[in-house]
Order: sequence, then C-alpha cells, then structure tokens
Amino acid sequence: MRAFFILLPFLLNAFTDCVAVSAAKPFTISGFVKEEGTGESLLGANVYIKENLKGTSSNVYGFYSITIPEGKYTLVISYLGFETQEHSIDLVKDIRMDIKLRKAAFITKEVEIVGRKEEKNVESAEMSRDKLEIEKIKSLPAFLGEVDILKTIQLLPGVLSAGEGNTGYYVRGGGPDQNLILLDEANVYNANHLFGFFSVFNADAVQNVTLTKGGMPANYGGRLSSVLDIQMKEGNNQKFGVQGGLGFISSRLTVEGPIKRDTGSFIVSGRRTFVDLFLRKPFVQEGSDIEGNKYFFYDLNAKANYRLNQNNRIFLSGYFGRDIFNFKSPDSDFELEIPWGNATTTLRWNHVFNDRIFMNTSLIYTNYDFQFEGGQEGFNFKLFSGITDYNIKSDFNWFPHPGHNIKFGGQYIYHVFVPSNVSARSGDVVFDLGKTLRQYAHDLAIYINDEYDITDKLRINAGLRGTLFQQVGPFDRFVRDPIRKVVTDTIHYNTLENVKTYSNVEPRLSIRYTLDQKSSVKASYTQNYQYIHLASLSSISLPTDTWVPSTDLVRPQFSTQYAAGYFRNFNNNTYETSIEVYYKDMKNQVEYSEGFLPENSINDNVDNDFVFGQGWSYGAELFLKKVKGNFSGWIGYTLAWTYRKFPDLNRANVFAPKYDRRHDVSLVLSYDVSKRVSLGATWVYATGNLNTFPERLYLLSDGNVLQDYGDQRNNYRLVPYHRLDLSFTLRNKPTKKFESSWNFSVFNVYNRYNPFIIYFDTDLNEDNISIQAKQITLFPILPSITYNFKF
Amino acid sequence: MMERKLYRVMAFILIIIGFSACEKNVTVEIPESEPKIVVEGYVIAGEKPYVILSRTLPFFGTVNINSVVNQTITGALVTVSDGIITDTLEQFPGIGLYISDLITGESGKTYTLRVEAEGKVLSSSTFLPQPVALDSVWWKVNGNRDSLGFAWAHLTDPDTLGNYYRWFAQRINRYTFGLEEGKIKDSIFIAPNGSVFEDKFINGKSFDFAYQRGQVPNSNKADDFNDEKFFFKIGDTIVVRFCTIDRSHFDFWRTVETQVGSNGNPFASVAPVSSNIEGGLGIWGGYACTFDTIIAR
Repeated sequence: MRAFFILLPFLLNAFTDCVAVSAAKPFTISGFVKEEGTGESLLGANVYIKENLKGTSSNVYGFYSITIPEGKYTLVISYLGFETQEHSIDLVKDIRMDIKLRKAAFITKEVEIVGRKEEKNVESAEMSRDKLEIEKIKSLPAFLGEVDILKTIQLLPGVLSAGEGNTGYYVRGGGPDQNLILLDEANVYNANHLFGFFSVFNADAVQNVTLTKGGMPANYGGRLSSVLDIQMKEGNNQKFGVQGGLGFISSRLTVEGPIKRDTGSFIVSGRRTFVDLFLRKPFVQEGSDIEGNKYFFYDLNAKANYRLNQNNRIFLSGYFGRDIFNFKSPDSDFELEIPWGNATTTLRWNHVFNDRIFMNTSLIYTNYDFQFEGGQEGFNFKLFSGITDYNIKSDFNWFPHPGHNIKFGGQYIYHVFVPSNVSARSGDVVFDLGKTLRQYAHDLAIYINDEYDITDKLRINAGLRGTLFQQVGPFDRFVRDPIRKVVTDTIHYNTLENVKTYSNVEPRLSIRYTLDQKSSVKASYTQNYQYIHLASLSSISLPTDTWVPSTDLVRPQFSTQYAAGYFRNFNNNTYETSIEVYYKDMKNQVEYSEGFLPENSINDNVDNDFVFGQGWSYGAELFLKKVKGNFSGWIGYTLAWTYRKFPDLNRANVFAPKYDRRHDVSLVLSYDVSKRVSLGATWVYATGNLNTFPERLYLLSDGNVLQDYGDQRNNYRLVPYHRLDLSFTLRNKPTKKFESSWNFSVFNVYNRYNPFIIYFDTDLNEDNISIQAKQITLFPILPSITYNFKF
Repeated sequence: MMERKLYRVMAFILIIIGFSACEKNVTVEIPESEPKIVVEGYVIAGEKPYVILSRTLPFFGTVNINSVVNQTITGALVTVSDGIITDTLEQFPGIGLYISDLITGESGKTYTLRVEAEGKVLSSSTFLPQPVALDSVWWKVNGNRDSLGFAWAHLTDPDTLGNYYRWFAQRINRYTFGLEEGKIKDSIFIAPNGSVFEDKFINGKSFDFAYQRGQVPNSNKADDFNDEKFFFKIGDTIVVRFCTIDRSHFDFWRTVETQVGSNGNPFASVAPVSSNIEGGLGIWGGYACTFDTIIAR
C-alpha cells in the first residue's frame, strides 16, 4: 500500500501537467509506424521532435502519440536497421500520421542527423531488457540448421543455457519455471520439442523477441525471473509471398499476403520434421533396433489482421504444435503412443479511443497436454497431464503529455490444471489409480504504470500490480499421516468453493538518470509473485513436467530484485555498453522432497510431496554490443552466484543448484562480407554444472552394491563447457521473382567433448568389483546445410 | 518408472536423428569423506533377529570378499528390544555379525535396535506386520515360448490401507546338464527386480500378478545369460516366499531397486537409498513370510 502513495504524486502530476499544458493549446501527433513493403508494425521505433528532443517510442502495436504546444516542428522517426525519416509539421491541429519506414540498404550509409537523440539503450528507463531482431538471429550459426530463438537468447548476459543443445534457460539464478514465455500474449507452457533440443518457435513466423530479466514494467507479471515476449509476424499486406526452407531436421513453408491491400493480411507458416519418413521401409531393415519406432514434430502458426477503420483493427492468431512418438513392437503386441504439445489462440482488438489513448483487448486460449498410452497382452496403461488457460485482458496506453507514458489494464485467467493422472487395467481388473484430478483457479491482475520524465535528466518508470489468485473446487485434498505417509483423510471442496485465496501488491520502480549525451545510470526495484509452479525432477525439460497452482499447501513464490547499471554508447551509437549488478531474493521456492518417486503422486495430491525453501542470487553482467555496420555482434559476460536453503533438503544446509555457474561468456559476431556472403560465429564458455555424485560404497548381504551420496547436494562440479559455432550464408543471385540462399553451419567446430552427463558403471572381473566413471558427450562436431527460398 | 521410460525414449530419438553421441572413460575426483556405519539387520517372524555391521568403502576402490570382511565392525554393542525384553546380541567370532539369543520375531510387535560402535550411537525401529498368504500360485508359459514362463499368484489384499509386500523365489530342483549339473539351481531365495509393492492402488482388491525370475547380483550363471534369463522353465520346482513388511522397510527396498536399476544408465537421475537407521546407513527391517511351492508344468 505504501508503494501506492509513492506512486500517487506522479500520477496526479500526469493529470496536472495535462491541465497546465492545455493552456498553451497543445495538439497531438499520433499514428502507427510500419515497415514499407510489408506493412508489418514496428514496435519500439523512436519518434521525437528534433527541436526539443521530446519524444516517445511506438508501442507493441506500432502506435505512437506525442502531445506538444502549437508550433512548427520537425518530427524524426528512427528505428535501427531502417532509414530515418524527418517530417516538417505545422502543428495547428491534431495530426494523424502513419509512417512507413524503409529497410536500410546493405552497407548502411550513416545518415547524418544534427541534434540526434540518444538511442534507447542509454535513454530508456528500462534496464535488464534485450530486444533481438529476427533477421539477426537468422544470420547466426544454427544448431543442425534449425534457427532457434530460445537458443539465441541464451547468448545474452544473465541468461544461462540449461544444457548442451537445450532450449531451456535460467535467468539470474531463477528456476526454469520462473520464465514467462508469451507468443502473441498467449502463455506457452512447454516451449520445447524433443526434450528441449528444439524450441516450438518457427523463426519464419516470428517478428520480434524481447526478453526482460529484471525491472519488469507492471504490465507483466506472474513469473519471478523473466518475460520472453514473442510477436508473430502479421503478414505482408502489400503482396503475396512464399518462403520456405529445407534443412537437416525440418522443412518449413510460409505463405503470406494481403486480405485487402493496406487493410488486412494473413500469414500461415508450417514446419515439420521428416526423419520418420526415412525410418520406414526400404530404409530400415527388418529386425533392426529401430524398426517399429516413429517420431516427428510439427508446428503450425497462423495469423490474420484486418483494419476495420482508422481506429479499429482486429487480429486473430494461433499456434498449434505436436511431438508424436509411436512404438509398435515388431515381434509382440506391445504398443506405445506418446503425443504432446501446445495450442494457443489469441483474438485481439486494437482501438484508438482518441489520438492519446490506445487500447488493446485480447481473448486468449492456451493449452498444453501430454499423453502416454501403452499396452500389451491385455494390460493397458494411460497417463495424461496438462494445463488449459482461458484468458481475457485489456491494456490501455495513454499519452497525456510527452513526459508521460501511462499504461494500465487488467487481466483475468481461469486455469484448469491436470496433474499426472494414470489409469491402468489388466484384463477385467481396473486398478484403483484414483479419479481424474483436476485443479481450478482464478487468476486476476490489475496494473498501472507510468513512465515519467521528471526533469530532462531524470526519468522514472513506476508501476503497481495488484494480483489475486484463488484456487477453487471441485478439489480433493488428501491428508497424509505424517509418519506412515499414508493418506488417512480427504477434504472435499465443491465446485467454485474457495480452497485458498492469495492477494498481493507488487510495486515496480526503475529510475534513469542521464549523466551526459552518451551515458546514464539506472536502478530498479521489482517485486514479483508467482502463483503457478513447476516442480521438476530433472534438469532438462520433460514433456511430463506438470504445472500446479498455489494451494492451501503451496504458497506463492515471491521475489524481490534490486538492480543497478551504468549504460554508455560510443561512436555515434555504434557501440552500446552496459554493466549491471543485481541481487535477487526468492521466497517459497518449490522442490520435490528427497527420495520422491513419480508414482508417489498417483492417488494423491502432488504437492503433498513438495518441500519449500528460499533462494538468493547475485551477480554482475557486462554487455558490449556493436549495433551498426557490416560487422556487428556482442560480447556478454556474467559473473553470478546462486544458492538455495530448504529445511527439508540437504539437512537444511545451504546448497548451490545445479546451474550455479560462476562465469558465463558469449561472443557473437556476424559479418556481411558482401551482398551475397555473410559469416557468423558464436563462442560460449560456461563454468561446469554441479552434480551430486556418490562418495562411498557399501554392500548388502544379498550381493547388491549400493552408493552413498554423502551429505552435500551438488558436491561435484563438471569441467567447463565451451564451444565454437560458425556459419556461412551464401545468397544466390536474386531474380525479380525468386531469392534463395544456402546456409552452412558447423556446430562445435573444434570438436570439444563437453560433458552432457557423467555416470558410473560397475565392472565385475573375477571376484573384484570396481567402478568406472563414464562421460557422455552428446554433440561432437556437427555440420549442417539449410536451403532457404523466397518468392 | 515414467521418467526412466522417457529417458529411454529420448536416448532412442537421439540415435534415430543421427546424433553421434560419444562416450569415454573419465577420471572423477570425488570429495574425500569419512566412512559411515552401515547396518543391515532383520527380525523375521519365528526367527532370531540378526545384525551385520560394516563401514562404507571408498568409491573407486576395488571391492572383493576380503575388503568386505575387513570392513565389518567387530566389538560393537548391539541391543534389540521388543518392548519387554532387551537383549544384547552376541557377535559371531571374527566378523561383524551379531545374533540375538533371547528374542524371536513375532508379528504385531515393534522392535527397536541400538548400536554402539566406533564411538557412535545408531538406532532404529521396525514393525513386524501380520503375514498375508497368497490365495494360489502357478506357472504359466509366456506368450508363444514353449517351455519358459513367469511365476503367477493370486492375492487378496486386506481392506485396510498400508500393506507392503516383498516377493522372493527359489528354484530347488537341480541342474540336469551343463557345468553345474547336479547342483540345486538357486542356493538362496532371490528377490527379482520390483520385488516390493504396496496396496495404494490395489487396496482391498483380489487380483492376479506375475513375477519374472530374479538373479543374484553380478551372477555369472549360464541361465542368467541365455534365453532362460528372467524365466522359470518347465520342470522347475519353485518355492515362493511372500512377506509383509513395514513402510520404511518398503521404502528401503524400493529405493535400493531404483538405484541398482539406474546403475549404468546415463540418463538416470540421482537415486539415493532411503534408510531407517538414525546416524548411519542401511536397514533394520521386519519380515512376516508365508511359503508356497509351484511345480512348473
């Protein structure tokens, strides 16, 4: 509540400013910023008045609005990678001006601008935030030729990869479930294919990627550590186009075009793996190990938008993807089928109330489900789990005055959780594995956020987010005997009956103080609550991972993050640099109890096997980025510490989680040699993961040799991980109608045997038993070729 | 189980996609740690309780019968109490095996154990449940194999929740050919993988179940490698020993089997063994057993 009073003066100020300015006859220039030739909205474009450097940037839908007193001005619109435009305006009335920016030609001519405004890196009050251009992502080396957004963000400082070739990531010491992943505002709960080796995001269908690691504005919430906001392409509203590619792993095809020129467009993009086609006869011999197996995944993205009139536009977008694994034993009747995947649908309505107030309302559906079905000789087994969300949200953007950019809105989500449910029968006997357990919850949030220039040098971004989470019935709480661990009692809640309600206020604050034209200091304070949790037994993402709500036993996770940074641009904004330090405190962290086995949660509530503790992490991140020129790229360095303390784990002693890595370095380079040839390189170095290894052995009288893991969790650190990848892109001479290119990537160029896992094998010779440690390296040097085309 | 199955699927998928994962032997320097005391003691209905005490061994050392005997702890003070009688167990000369003289295991009683050894005190207790007999046992040919099959049984689980079981079997007929001709096939009762189960999913139900043939760890017998592996053969005389145990005894064997089953599996996660010994490792467990004989035909 106190936070509200801190914020209140600023909000009042926003109103009074309006009033004060209105005396001087203010007018508003507003409109949308788009890309010429395709009509795609450009978000985050700089829009400002050259004379006084007052300005704003376009929002997520490309909308901007500036209110200033009557007069003659020059309006400048700049966006990285695009040609800067200047427009002389005579402001005697409100002006609606839609802007089309042209992509900068190859070999960027430095556009000379006098009185140039500093780029966002230094000027924005936001910190701990990175935006990646999809074109840049595509020019970097790709693992097996598959361009992957989630792997590219792992190259940013403060973001750690979950493992070799893995799309999972950890941000500033937070767990993998603390990252919110949004695709056109829809929550994607399991963003992986094939156990995390590929992400579900088809780069051909993606327009923008923004990662927020800290200092989150109040319009984001629900996760402790990060928000990854991905916008799908809108589709070309000028002309029809087809693009696609053939790769090692998958093939892609995208079709886009206008529904009505300048008014509406659509895009449909598909991707599918095709190894399974080669696993059939005649490629596979009868009796071989892989006979009877089948695996593939696919993704389908579709989006359409239509502008009803100047002030109303609707969007409909959807994603559907599946992994499917089948096994049919060639010599018995054993069969297995495992499908899993996500589906999302977003319906949005953009409305411009007037030239200063913009609104977006979305209806969102999202679903993740997993199934495992097997059977043999009359014995059948089925397991399923998942989560479904029904979501409505409204976001308002109000530009009362150039000094203020106010966002407010609300969101309501109805969650349906399906924790692992199992059914089994043998012949006529049905095993008692409990009825289907589902959990239901209301999830409500309202927020207000103001970005306010107090003085020319001091900008403040203050926000408040109020959240309410309520688990409702029907629900059965199984009460366990604490000693015998047997369920002794059941508490039943009826439909819509309150099981547990939590409500909280989350203050957010970030401040930027400009030191001079080229540098600034920033600080932020962020509180976050997380009401849904993912407890995982494994360090890698498994399709069986299930989300669970906060309940009477599981309290919401809570974090407080403090960050400070110094930002400086060099050489006419060619280089952007930053140093950030952070400290993050995390309460009510969730883990499985020691010795938990997945079958424990059958016929029981899975949270009965949870234990709770706290975590904290701190570190520093250095970032040097060259943003302009034929030669571009960045160096990121992270120095970090992260710890956990659980009363019921590791004898209540502090331990470091598996991904506590002291050093993490990423070097990313891309070089456009000529119009036709570009080169890319990435090098990564990371301190080795922690593992829990057995310390001693003992024997039982029946001959079993057992391992004692000792008293300290994660007692062994693997050797450091490092790897170099290179890519070479050759664009064929384009004809009027057809463009194509070849991409050659080499993963792990110097063939480093990085440990994926170390395990122990028991050797028995004569009457002696001895143990040998063995290391598995998943990916040695791996070349790949991808062919891309566009017409 | 689920997770393990998935890891196997994952390993398979990696192979089919053509990733050339490679494996090599490495040297791992495991942090030095002090030996711990391991207790393995049982109280079996109708029998005298006994306890074996030993120390843990270095992880990368070579283990053989000598190193095991050398690591047993002699000269310890081991007492067992059934609530009324407290007996100090007598050490078997030369090795760390301690046997009770006064106490005989009885169903329905709780037995506490106290060990004083090498300046440490360890303790535990176990409950000896009532035995539950199998309704019937038989042998059945598996699929279209003509002479090999599993041992089957019919069990009626009592109404009350919280029953835990362990299955053992022993072939008491003799080999009729081969290197071991004339020897009894199994010299001891052998628990197959998955030997313990609970009634959480089957409470009060009456149903059939089957077990494969288990083998002694690191067995080098011919029939543990050829087609007969996991199977009982037509003509075998099989004695089934079916025991009830308490919760922590069940947890011990379940986690032992998980650890042993994941040994050598690169994708397995950490599988610590759950122990009911305060101050040490191992098990103090009660068994109430019934016996049945199957002649496979």
